[in-house]
Amino acid sequence: MITFSVNGKLKEVSEARADDKLLDYLHDDLNLTGSKLCCGIGVCRACTVEVFKPPSNAASAIISCKTSLGQINGTQITTIEGATPKDGLLPIQEAFLKNFSFQCGYCAPGFVMASKVFLDWLATQTSITEEALDEAIHDAIGDHICRCTGYVRYFEALKATAQAQLEAQQ
Amino acid sequence: MTFTQMSRRRFLKSASGMVAVSVLGVPALANSRGTGQVGTDGSSIPGIASQRIDGFAKVAGKKVYARDFYARDMGAPWPKTQKYAMYLRALHTDQRFVGLTNLPPAARSARLVYGDMLDRSLLNPNIPIDRDLHMDERIRESLSSGPSDSSFDHPDAVLFDLIVQPGKVPDFLGQAVALLVFDDVASYREAKRAMQFKDADFQVYAAPDGPLPPLRKPFQPETTYVKFNAEGENFSYAAFDDDKRYMAEVEKVRHQIENRLSSMPDLIKHNFTCDMQAMDPMFMEPEAGLAFHHVTSTEKTLHLVLGTQSPDHDVDSILSMFNDSEDAPYKLDAVTLTSCYPGGGFGGRDKSPFSLMLGLASAFSYDEDAEGQKTYVPLRLEYDRFEQFRVGLKRHAATGTGQIALTPDMNLQNIEMTLDFDGGGRKNLSPYVANLAGLCAGGAYTCDMANIYAQAYHSGNISGGSQRGFGGPQAFFAIETALDDVARELDWDPIQLRLANVIREGDTTVVGGPMDQELRLTEMLEIAEAHPLWADRELIKLGFAEEGKVYGTGLAMSLQAYGTSGDGMVAAVHMAADGTLSVESDAVDMGNGSATTLGVVIGDILGANAQSVDMGCYTLFGQTGLQTNSNSTERWADPTWTAKGVGSSSACLTALHQVHVVQQTARALFELSILPAARDLWGLPDLTADDVMWNNGLLVLETTEADPIPLADLAYFIHENGLPTGTLGHAYFQGSWAEADYALPTGTIRLQLDSLATYGTGGSPRQLSRLNTTGPDAHSARYSRTVWAPCVNVVGVTVDTTNGHVQIENVLSVLNAGRVHVPELVSGQSQGGVAMAISYTLLEDMPPGMEGPADGTWNLNRYHVAHAMDVPLNTRFDPLGRAQELIVLPESEGDKKSGRGIAEAVMCSISPAISNALKDAVGVRYTSLPITPHKILKGLSK
Repeated sequence: MITFSVNGKLKEVSEARADDKLLDYLHDDLNLTGSKLCCGIGVCRACTVEVFKPPSNAASAIISCKTSLGQINGTQITTIEGATPKDGLLPIQEAFLKNFSFQCGYCAPGFVMASKVFLDWLATQTSITEEALDEAIHDAIGDHICRCTGYVRYFEALKATAQAQLEAQQ
Repeated sequence: MTFTQMSRRRFLKSASGMVAVSVLGVPALANSRGTGQVGTDGSSIPGIASQRIDGFAKVAGKKVYARDFYARDMGAPWPKTQKYAMYLRALHTDQRFVGLTNLPPAARSARLVYGDMLDRSLLNPNIPIDRDLHMDERIRESLSSGPSDSSFDHPDAVLFDLIVQPGKVPDFLGQAVALLVFDDVASYREAKRAMQFKDADFQVYAAPDGPLPPLRKPFQPETTYVKFNAEGENFSYAAFDDDKRYMAEVEKVRHQIENRLSSMPDLIKHNFTCDMQAMDPMFMEPEAGLAFHHVTSTEKTLHLVLGTQSPDHDVDSILSMFNDSEDAPYKLDAVTLTSCYPGGGFGGRDKSPFSLMLGLASAFSYDEDAEGQKTYVPLRLEYDRFEQFRVGLKRHAATGTGQIALTPDMNLQNIEMTLDFDGGGRKNLSPYVANLAGLCAGGAYTCDMANIYAQAYHSGNISGGSQRGFGGPQAFFAIETALDDVARELDWDPIQLRLANVIREGDTTVVGGPMDQELRLTEMLEIAEAHPLWADRELIKLGFAEEGKVYGTGLAMSLQAYGTSGDGMVAAVHMAADGTLSVESDAVDMGNGSATTLGVVIGDILGANAQSVDMGCYTLFGQTGLQTNSNSTERWADPTWTAKGVGSSSACLTALHQVHVVQQTARALFELSILPAARDLWGLPDLTADDVMWNNGLLVLETTEADPIPLADLAYFIHENGLPTGTLGHAYFQGSWAEADYALPTGTIRLQLDSLATYGTGGSPRQLSRLNTTGPDAHSARYSRTVWAPCVNVVGVTVDTTNGHVQIENVLSVLNAGRVHVPELVSGQSQGGVAMAISYTLLEDMPPGMEGPADGTWNLNRYHVAHAMDVPLNTRFDPLGRAQELIVLPESEGDKKSGRGIAEAVMCSISPAISNALKDAVGVRYTSLPITPHKILKGLSK
């Protein structure tokens, strides 16, 4: 059996499904459609989810359309549904919302999840230069594709959120 | 908060009888806010949008897109499971399709449907209307082209099958050759894995047994704009009432133009040629949808879940397939459409063939018992990105050739241009795209003579259709690069050249239509001229040179029309007993922000924003009592007549058109209910709208100290006393608005609406009498377009001459947006337009034929779209950094408090500005898009 968790709930699937894509499993089996299929080949990153693979404590952003179930054995997966608080939004979701960062919104969950992983990493940093912060933001969401907005408002919102978080950390 | 559930059922007449059509929002799911095309997160500050009204649902990953929904989500009467459809696609257009062989085991359990198994109506349905024609255009088109051309979605001589019949030669690449219907997702996915990229292994073709279908035949109508406004003559398309008389004189006038140009001494003639490849809209959500035939003993209903820009057309098309005759085998009694937010559109979901293919497949989604009794089962059709590239509507590949002629004092005399658009296999909207390109060929300029021809022709390529810009990107690229070349050759200042020729109020377009709208082009050019990106361009170039970089600056302008030659739209405004407001609109929000905008533009009128905006409600038109088919000689004198019901949604229709109908309808609700309620509550029977104002949700008397009345109290009074709790309005625009008097209990009000109804108890609207109606002059339909969104773009680029890489360093956009309803949406549209234009100018490389995505192997690893690094991300100009700065002109009196549709305006002149900047940087004119590093190096090598 392949064992993993999704949004805190334990899941088991047979080895026969090892080649099934995580994104298809989220959609077809769990009805978690917040992670989006766009390219299906790992380029656009609309399908990004967060993964913890013990013993590491650090989260990674992974591309669920290219990740097979066989690759996530023993991991903890968090999707946009699991990341969104029961009441309200994460600070980065609130920032994207208030800054009109997305238009059609189809890419938004991918940006949210990648940004969440980045901000969680940032929380472990004691200091960072502005140049390094800009570079880290580009590393986090620079490969995501948005066809509507031209990226400007996503980057503005994430940088503002990161700076606010850094200030709060100090 | 609850609103009266309105019946949105509309009855349509089909060839086989009446059909009830309903549009629904998506089912509310547990713990969800803002689902479907219903935004429920309205801002609390009247007139101000604090966020997208649909934003919470989208950023939280809720189910709002058609792709998100499965049968299990839909509720009764849907069963919990669905079948899956897969179309196999044609590989050749010069060979007969014979059939399938050696299908992998995974596919053998599927129901296989060939083209010759289809009923005639399913095989080759008559698509009802090819474009949002208003009545005058519809009549003219049917008269000019004959009966067969008005209903067939292809050239006369090419009848295409929805699924190619074995033995026939496919008409275009990507045409379906077979349908497979799978019982469940597991078998569908297994078959897909086994079959993807291996089409040639199981599709069998043979040499044709006759002549191949004709290619390069123009889709009708073709566009000819010849203008001669000199020597006392005033010849133009707009000067005539009918095409036949106009076309009879065109050739003669062309000679007049030639003769006049020949007689002008020292005339400067510049020939130009340019081309661009097809472009994929690459909206993020590949098309997907659900269909379910729910059959009871009394009624057969087709339930659909779609994300479309054209719900009315899609439903009509599907009905034309199922209900084409009285004895149609799959005759429907009703259609219910769940209209979802599209995950991007850009025109690619406007009359997309996807809906028809979903409807077709649904006819084969059934289980059959031993007696042959069929039980229909929901069906899901979901394109992946490879399929979307393979069959989705494209922006046309196009070529432009021509000549501009100017006098030595910079005055533009003549624009001659031929624009050829590769329409691909289906007609779709291609000839109308070419038509608008013909108008855009005149750029932002006035000239006395024009000789313009534009056509879209049939080919074996993937079909083209409506795309952002609608012909503007091709035409503006041609005219703006040509003008830049003239300026450089003659050492003229590019801005002075444009200033000498900009079109102004009182001038006429190349079509001959009057320019009646304030444009402020001179002011915009002067702003660009004074901006350091332009003014200091030589200094900036020197700065880059010191870093070893090659830099150049280019300028271009566009005057993009918005709307069509006649637009109808419908809206309803409702007030709940607690004062909360809701808006319904026929518009679809593709992400452009229509829902958000329509929610806040009633704030100043009704004292609060809408807390709920429901989009895609095109069946509201059925409640207006209007129709478009009466004796047209009466036209506006007939109180039930309008020129057009509703049309497809495009982003640029919001700011003027959709806002207008919502505001006028809201104003009617104010006059009908709020004002009477205030009169009663204040005891002031003579109170008028001029005596009151809104202040933080309170209605305030301007002249006395009477206690302000909260909107909630007014609403309670209105509900308690039987006053109208909502209004329904329809508007029509064709250069001016149709308007009429409506008799209210408190007097007569004149509104720019051609239908007004009220809602009260019971839910059904009650029509108010329309009196003294005036409408736009029918002749103004020949002006092509009447409202405009101008933009001037300045672009600074660097070129790496070792590898051909181009980087956009800075962009300045000077935009006339008229009244800005939501500033964040305007700048967002601008930023998105800049990114998309950079992308298709430099990156998006899509060859035609089987070298391109028609072979089924194309995805984002081969078709590169702009990433963040390709776009300047800062928003204030910095000579040492990368930025895109947007300057929006402050609103003027000439805007008449109206917004302009700017969704395409910024984008259209970015491409020529980049080409002009490259010319400035490296001295080479690049006129073939995309301008790839390979082309850069090739140009440099010359």
